[in-house]
Order: sequence, then C-alpha cells, then structure tokens
Amino acid sequence: MFKITMFQTGFEFWSFEFWYCFEIRASDFEFIINMEVAILSGVNSKFGELWETSPRDLVRDVALQAISEAGIKPSEIDAIFVGNMLSGMLAQQEHLGAFFAEELGLPVSAIRVEGACASGGLAVHLGVCAISSGMYRNVLIVGVEKMTDYKPEEVAHALMGAGSDVEREAGATFPALYALMAQVHMTRFGTTSEQLAWVAVKNHYHATLSENAQFPFAVSVEQVLKSSMVAYPLHLLDCSPITDGASAVVLSINSKHQIPNSKTVNIIASAVATDTLGLAQRKDLTTIDAAVRAGKMAYEQAGIGPSDIDVCEVHDCFTIAEVLAMEDLGFFKKGEAGEKIAAGVTTLGKGKKLIVNTSGGLKAAGHPVGATGVKQIVEVFHQLAGSAGKKQVEGARLGLAHNVGGSGATAVVHILKSLK
Amino acid sequence: MISPVKIWRNQKKTRNLLGREGKILTWTKVFVPPSGFEGQAPYIVAIAQLSDKTHCTAQLVDYEEKQVKIGQKVRTVLRKTRDPGTEGVIPYGIKFRPI
Repeated sequence: MFKITMFQTGFEFWSFEFWYCFEIRASDFEFIINMEVAILSGVNSKFGELWETSPRDLVRDVALQAISEAGIKPSEIDAIFVGNMLSGMLAQQEHLGAFFAEELGLPVSAIRVEGACASGGLAVHLGVCAISSGMYRNVLIVGVEKMTDYKPEEVAHALMGAGSDVEREAGATFPALYALMAQVHMTRFGTTSEQLAWVAVKNHYHATLSENAQFPFAVSVEQVLKSSMVAYPLHLLDCSPITDGASAVVLSINSKHQIPNSKTVNIIASAVATDTLGLAQRKDLTTIDAAVRAGKMAYEQAGIGPSDIDVCEVHDCFTIAEVLAMEDLGFFKKGEAGEKIAAGVTTLGKGKKLIVNTSGGLKAAGHPVGATGVKQIVEVFHQLAGSAGKKQVEGARLGLAHNVGGSGATAVVHILKSLK
Repeated sequence: MISPVKIWRNQKKTRNLLGREGKILTWTKVFVPPSGFEGQAPYIVAIAQLSDKTHCTAQLVDYEEKQVKIGQKVRTVLRKTRDPGTEGVIPYGIKFRPI
C-alpha cells in the first residue's frame, strides 16, 4: 500500500496561511506508477574461478553485450546500478558506481547497491523504481563479485559481514547460520539430510545443461552425504561455492513504440522486505519471514498467486535455503518442501509447472554474491522469452526470482511475465 | 580486527547478559572456521532462549558430547572470544556452559 500525504499552503481570504492535507491511496496510483518495466536483454558471464579475469573485464563484457542485445545505443543508457557486496572488504575498492561507469565510458548516474547476497536483486529493484518514477528511461543493472582472488577463510570472514556482530563474535559462519535453521526444520518437520541432498542433485543436473555454470556436472545423493561436514548437518555439497562472475540486464520503460526487439518480457512485481539482522532475533527459525512478506507483496502487485508460477529461481545458498524458500513463497506447505523436492516435482523434465533453478541455482551455477540476484533475473528472462535452449521450460509465461541477503535479513522477490 | 573502543563500548551489553540461565533452541558444529577462529575449530555455536524469553547466539564451552542437544540447559559465562589483534586488547564475550 502506498500512502503519500501532501501539504499545500494556501492563503485564505483574510491572508491567513493554512495547511491542508489529503491522502492518496494505492488505487489512485495505478495510473501514475506503471510497474510494467520491460527487460530488453540479460547476459551472464561464465561463473567460476576466473583468475585471469578482472572485475572490469567481467562487467565490461556482460554490460556491452547486454546493451547490444537490447538493441539500444550505449549513449541511451541513463543510469547504471551496481550490485556488489565484498569489493570494499576484500579489494579495498569502494565507489563502484563511478568505477564501472568509467570502465564502460558512460559517465551517467551510477550507484552501487548493497544488501549482502541480495545486492543483485536490490539493484534490479532500484532499476524498477528508477524507471517507474519516470526519472530514467533505460537503465543498466550489473551484479558482480570477485571472490576467488582471496583465501577461503578471508572470504568466509568477509561474508559474515552480512550477519550481526554477535554472530561474528560467536564464529557463526554462513553455513553455521543456515545449519542452525536446518536443525530446527529437521527436528520439527522431519526433513532429512537425504531430502536436502536432493536439492543439490537437482540443481547440479540443471547445471549440466548450462554452459556458464561453475559446476556443470551431476552429483548423487550419496556423494552429497559423503562429502565432508562444514557445519553440522550441512555437508560440503550442501553449500554453494565461492565464485567470480557478473550478470547484466537492461531495463526500459514498457512502451510499444520503444521496444526494438521481439522479446517482450516485463517485470510486473518488485518487492523488498527486511527482518532482524541476527538469526537469534527472528520469530521462527524455520521461516525467512522477509521472504514471506516480499513474496506476498509481489503476488499482490502482480495480481497472481504461487500456483500461477511456471518457472522460478530461488536463493539456494545452502540446500536448506531452497526448502525454506519453497515454503516461504507459498509453493508447498510448511514442512513438506523437502519431500516434494526429493520426489522431483520441481525438476526439469519431471515436473510440469514450477520448475526451480534451471540455472543450477547458487549451488551448481555458483554464487558470485553481488551477481546472483541479477543472474536470477537473466535466467527467468530467457525462460519467458523462449531462449533458454536445452533448459527451456515449455510454455513458461510467469516467472519468479527470490533473492535473500544474509540469513534472511533482506528478501527481494521479482515476478516476470511474458507478453507473447 | 575489532576496535578497542568498540570492545570497551560492548562491555555494558556483555555485563547484562552474564550469569543468565537458558536452554538451547538449536546448535551446529562448525568444522570450517573463518579467519580468527582457526585455532578453535571444530566448535559448537548455539542459539539459546534465556530466562527472559530473549534469544542469544554464542559458542558452547565446557561441554560433554551428550549435552550438545536441543533443550539442554545452559548458563551464560564470560570467555575470551578471539585472540587479541595488533592493538593487544583481548575481546571477551558471552559463551554458553551446560548446567
């Protein structure tokens, strides 16, 4: 619900100043805020351990390709939003808006957005807001992360910046925080390690169909369960890796006159919600409430429900996170997602609707933190545009992207629609 | 490295949390530590509900394996949390001890 109170001074007959105010409600806004933002293009770099490729190279390549595929000139880009989490802590490089604006030769409005692992999704959200406001017409969104230049312990330490200082003092790494949630979910609902392993198996299978994924090979349930323990009960293969990568999308005002190419995919919902930074302060350790609320807002904005979604990308930073996402977004009942995923209902080729993480998710495609939220939009965009190749979900018309920051302190949900 | 000023400022919070009883809501064993915690791994991190219904995240200390379980009663104690950085100020904080 949007509520804006406007004040105006006026002069009364006797030269008094007086104030009056009135409220504008959401329904009044429908003709002012046009949520229909068009996605003109989406490009992902290769994700992986890319020692020869600098952040400049990563971004330049995806951004220039995205602008070219969008069918617009670089000079038509009005703004650049950059999603990134760790550049400051690991590389001592802040000021990424200007950094990449220079690299691209586009000295326009350029702003870096950060929300831990939700940085990419937040950058997309800001792009939607920017275009919906009417202040910008064509916006380039870039998500980028360079992680493999550093030692794993250093990266693990930097990633803990997404949590609270109490969690840092306790040595609670990211796997540990999700492990704490997994324990409760398993105790309360009987979710098993085997069911969690199926998330990794499914996402690795999807990655075998994707050229840009970090790990384009299959894994078995046995391999997941035999892999070394990282934070009980999460094994190595329950955890997304450390990855370099960049993704870019070009967003534009949805105007029949403007879209030069035939791919017509719109963003019809973009919602953000937050919750406590620290896991201990959450109401329920088996729910990422920010995702529940962002999901509800997004469904409301789009005028649809969970059962309408054909394809989606959810934030599987750890296998348990995908289980939680499927319940938080209303796809499965609380406690039932583990069983459903293990049964294959969200696997390409096995399920009919609601195919999840055809990109390979974070687990198998890789998780370059700032890029992930944008990558998800790229994947859903291609699914709805019919250009997903071997990964194509037939007849996909409505898609959803779910991007989470930290252990659930920020959640961003986007809904995309094909106009074909 | 935490700033000595921040360590000093947090002492009030730490003092208020000492000597409280609680029970474990969830726990995990960390095998892959981040920088600064290498010497401690593997270690147990738990979330406990304290007597005033607030929740707290901390490591478990002085425990036997059978005490590492949901529902285990604990008390908050003061322990060194990590090695001092170059400033030489030792950070102390809350940990949980089974009772």
